[in-house]
Amino acid sequence: MKSKAIKNVLTTVGLPVLFGVIIFTLWQTKVLHALFGTDEIILPLPTRIGSIISDNFTGMIPQITSTLIVALGGLVLGSILGYLIGVAGAVFKKWGMGGLTIVSAFNAIPLVALAPVINNWTRNLSGVVDIRSTVAKIITVTIFCTASMSVNAYRGLTEVKPFSEDLFASYGSSKLRMFFKLRLPNSLPYVFTALRVSVPSCVIGAVVTEYFAEQVIGVGRQIRENIVKGQFPTAWAYIAVACAMGILMYVIMLIVESIVLKNRRAR
Amino acid sequence: MKNKRILAALLAASCLTAAFTACSSESASSTSSTESSVGSEASADASTESSESAGLMSDEEIIKKASGENKVGNWGLGNEYEIQALLSKYGLPTDYITMDFTMDQIDQDTITLASAMTYNELGLIKNSYDGGYGYGDEIGVIDMNDEGVAMLEDMLFCTKAFAEANPNTVKAFTTASMKGWVYACEHPDEAAEIVFKYGSSVSADHQKYMASEVAKLVTTDTKGNSVPAANVGQMDDEAIQQTLDLAKQYIKIDDATAAEKLQTLTLDDIRSKDYLTYDGGAVEKSDVKIQLKWLPQSQFMGYYVALDKGYYKEVGLNVEIVSGGGDVSETVAVNNGTVDFGVTWVSNLINANAGGMELVEVAQVYQRSGLVLCYKKSQFTK
Amino acid sequence: MLNKIKSSKGIVTAVWVLGLIVIWEICAFIVGATQRTPVNVLPHLYQIIGSFFDPKPITGSGDTIATLVFSSAAETLSRALIGFVIGMLLGYALALFMHLSHIVEKIAFPYLMIIQMIPILGMAPIVLSITGDISSARIVIAAILTFYPVSTNTLAGFKSVGRERHELMKSYGANKFQLYVKMLIPSAMSYFFTGLKISAPMAITASILVDTLQGGNGLGCMLSQSLKGSMTRFVFWDIVIFSAVIGVLSFYLMGVIERAISPSKRKIKKLNNGKD
Repeated sequence: MKSKAIKNVLTTVGLPVLFGVIIFTLWQTKVLHALFGTDEIILPLPTRIGSIISDNFTGMIPQITSTLIVALGGLVLGSILGYLIGVAGAVFKKWGMGGLTIVSAFNAIPLVALAPVINNWTRNLSGVVDIRSTVAKIITVTIFCTASMSVNAYRGLTEVKPFSEDLFASYGSSKLRMFFKLRLPNSLPYVFTALRVSVPSCVIGAVVTEYFAEQVIGVGRQIRENIVKGQFPTAWAYIAVACAMGILMYVIMLIVESIVLKNRRAR
Repeated sequence: MKNKRILAALLAASCLTAAFTACSSESASSTSSTESSVGSEASADASTESSESAGLMSDEEIIKKASGENKVGNWGLGNEYEIQALLSKYGLPTDYITMDFTMDQIDQDTITLASAMTYNELGLIKNSYDGGYGYGDEIGVIDMNDEGVAMLEDMLFCTKAFAEANPNTVKAFTTASMKGWVYACEHPDEAAEIVFKYGSSVSADHQKYMASEVAKLVTTDTKGNSVPAANVGQMDDEAIQQTLDLAKQYIKIDDATAAEKLQTLTLDDIRSKDYLTYDGGAVEKSDVKIQLKWLPQSQFMGYYVALDKGYYKEVGLNVEIVSGGGDVSETVAVNNGTVDFGVTWVSNLINANAGGMELVEVAQVYQRSGLVLCYKKSQFTK
Repeated sequence: MLNKIKSSKGIVTAVWVLGLIVIWEICAFIVGATQRTPVNVLPHLYQIIGSFFDPKPITGSGDTIATLVFSSAAETLSRALIGFVIGMLLGYALALFMHLSHIVEKIAFPYLMIIQMIPILGMAPIVLSITGDISSARIVIAAILTFYPVSTNTLAGFKSVGRERHELMKSYGANKFQLYVKMLIPSAMSYFFTGLKISAPMAITASILVDTLQGGNGLGCMLSQSLKGSMTRFVFWDIVIFSAVIGVLSFYLMGVIERAISPSKRKIKKLNNGKD
C-alpha cells in the first residue's frame, strides 16, 4: 500500500519534471525555435533568462513584493466578499440568488476595461500615488476573485445531504446552529474548489492591473514595459517570476487544503 | 427556471433603458451646444510663455517642486527617457507617475507636471473643442528642445535584412512618404481632413490642430532653424547623436548582454542615409504594410496623404497602413515580419537594437522633439 | 403555485437590477457634481444608452457609435467564435487523451495550468511569429485561453462515472470504443457543458483583450482607442455594457444548446474551473 503511494507521488511529480526537462532541452538547443519559426529575441534561451533573474534578483524583490501584496490582498478580500455573498445567498434564498447571478455577470466584463475604470474611481482617494494605486489594484483583483468563490460557497452551503438536514431538524436545532454545525463545514471543500481557480487568477489579475496602474512598479508592469520596448529576455525573466509566484501559491494552497480536509475527515 | 429569471431581468433592463433613452435626448442636445465653441485660439507656441507674470516660478523651481511632491507624469513604455534626462539634469530622482492617455490627472491636480505632445495632449488641455479641457493660457510649458534634452521622435524604419533585400522598395516607399509629408506640411488643413477620413477620431478640429503642430515639428529643427521642403526626412547627425548619447545614459536595461550592447551602438548601427533618394528601379516587393506608433491621427498625416494622393501607387507600391497603440509594438511587428515598415521614436529603435533586433532608420520625419512638460500656472506661483 | 414562485423570482432579479441601476445613478450623480470629467469616471446610464442610439457620426468615415460597435463586434465575435470552437475541440480531445492514458494526464495537467499563467503579452509575439498574421494570432490566443475549463471539466466528467457502471459495461462485453461512445461521453456531457459555460464568456473577454495588442478593427481596438482619447469615451462605456450583455447571453446560449442536445439533463455536482 505504502509503496503504491510512493510510486504514485513519483509519477505525479516525476513525469511532469521529466517532460519539463525535455522541453527545456529542446528550448536550449533551439529546436523549439525552429519548430515555432521564431528567434532568440522573442523566445530567449532559458540560460539567458536564468542569468537575468540571478543578476537582478535584489532589484526584483520590491517588484515581487508589490505584486504579492496586490495578489494576496485581492485574493483574501475577494474570497471573504465572495463567501459572504454566498452566505447571503444561502440565508436569504430568494434575494441572494439574484445577487449571485449579478455577481457572475461581472465576470463577463474584461479586466482590461475594469482596471482603468477603477483607476479613475480611486484617483481622489489619496494624494500619495503609492496608496491610491495599490488600493485601485487590490480592488480590481478583489472583483476578479469574488465570483467563483461566491458561486462555490453558495453551493457548499446549500448542497448538504438531505438526511443530515432532517436530522438536525429532528433534534430541534436552531437555524443558526444548523448553519454553523452543518452548512459551514460542508462548504469547506467547495471553498478549496474556488481557491483552485482564484489562486492562479489572482496572480494573473495582479499582473494585468499593474499594466494600467499609476505607480510604476510590479512584476506585471515590468513585463509590459519590457515587451513593448522589445527587451524580451528581461520580460521573460519577469514572466518566469510571475509563473513561479502562481505555482508557489497554488502548491501552498494544495498543502493547506490537504491538511484542513484531512482533519475534517478524521473528525 | 433559471432561464426565466434571466429573461425577466433582461426585460426589466430593457424597459428601463427605454425610459432612460426617452429623457436622454434633452441632455444630448445640451452637451452638443458646448462643442461648437471651437478654439484654434489657443495655439501651442512653447517658447512664447512669459514666466515673470504673476510671480510664476522659474522652470527649474517648477520641476523641483513637482518632483519633490512626486507629481511628474509620463506614459512610460519608452516615452519617459526625455523626462528622466531632464530630471537628472537637475539632480532629481527619475521617478514618475504613469499617466493614462487623457489629461484628467493634471485636470484634477493629482499630477502637477504632466507630459504632453505639442500636437496632441497640449492641444487637448488648452483648447475647448470636443474632448478638450479648455485651460487656454493658464497652461505653461517646459520644452525639451530648450532644455537641451531633446531626443528625436517619429521616424521611418525597417529591418536591415529587409532594406538589403529590397533596396528599391525601401527607397520608393521612403521618397513617396516624404512627398506625402511635404504636401501635408504645406497643406495641413487638407491633410487633417484626409486623416480624419481614414482614421477614427474624436474631432476634426483636433486633427486640424494636430496637423498644424506636426508641420512645425517636421519643418523646424531642435535649434529652432527651419528645415526646407527638400530636406524633409533627412537625418541631422548631431541631433541623432544627442539622442543616442541620452539613450545610453537613461535607457535602463536589466539584461547585462543588452545593456552592454547599448553602450557599443554607434550612429551607423541605427540609421542609414542610403534610402532617401529613389532612381526609379523596379520595386522588389509591391505589397507593403506600415505600422504606426500610435492610433490613426494627424501625427502620421504624411503617410495618409501619400496613400490618398496616390504617391505610393506612382512608384508601384500597394500600401496598407496598420494603426498602432497596442502592446505588440511597431519594433516587434517589423522585426518578426508581420509588417514591413514602422514609425517609431529613435530611442525605441535604439532600445530594440540593444535587445538584439537589427532595425535601421531610413528617414527622420520629426526634426525636433514634440514632447513638453505642461503645468497649470496656478499651481506654481511664488 | 409554481408559476407564482417563478414570477416572484423574476421580480427578485428585476429588483436586483433596479437596485444596481439606482446605486449606479446615485454614484453618477455624485461624480457629476464633483468631477470635471464625469464621463471618464462614471456617466449616467441614460447617457451611455442614449449615446448608443445617437445618430451623430463620431468618425471621419461617418460611423455612429452603434454602427461602429456592431461592425467591430462582428469582427471580434467571429474571432471569438472560431477561437472558442477550436478551444472546445482541443479541450475535449485533450480530456479524452488524458482519460485514455494516465501518463498523458500526469504530464499534461501541470503544464495546462502553467500555460494559463503565462501572460498573453508574452505569448502574443511568439504566436504572431508562428502565424505571421495578427488576426489568426488573435484566434489562436483566444483558443489557448478558452480550452482549459473545457478540458478540466470534461475530464472530471469522465472520472465521475462510477466503477460499478464500468464493470457493468465490461460484463456486457463492451470494448473500449463502445465504452466511450455508449457510456463515458454521454455521462460527461453535463460536465462538458459546464466547461463550455465558463469558457464561452471567457472567449469573448479574451478576444477583446487580444484585440488591444495591435490596431485594426474590433471591440478591443475601439475600446482602447476610446480609452486613449481618440474617440468619445462613450464608445468605451457602450462596449463595456455590450460585452457584459453578450457574455451573459453566451452563458445562457450554452444552457439552451445543452438542453436541446441532452433533454434528460442530470443534476450533477459540477467542478468549477476558469480564469480570465
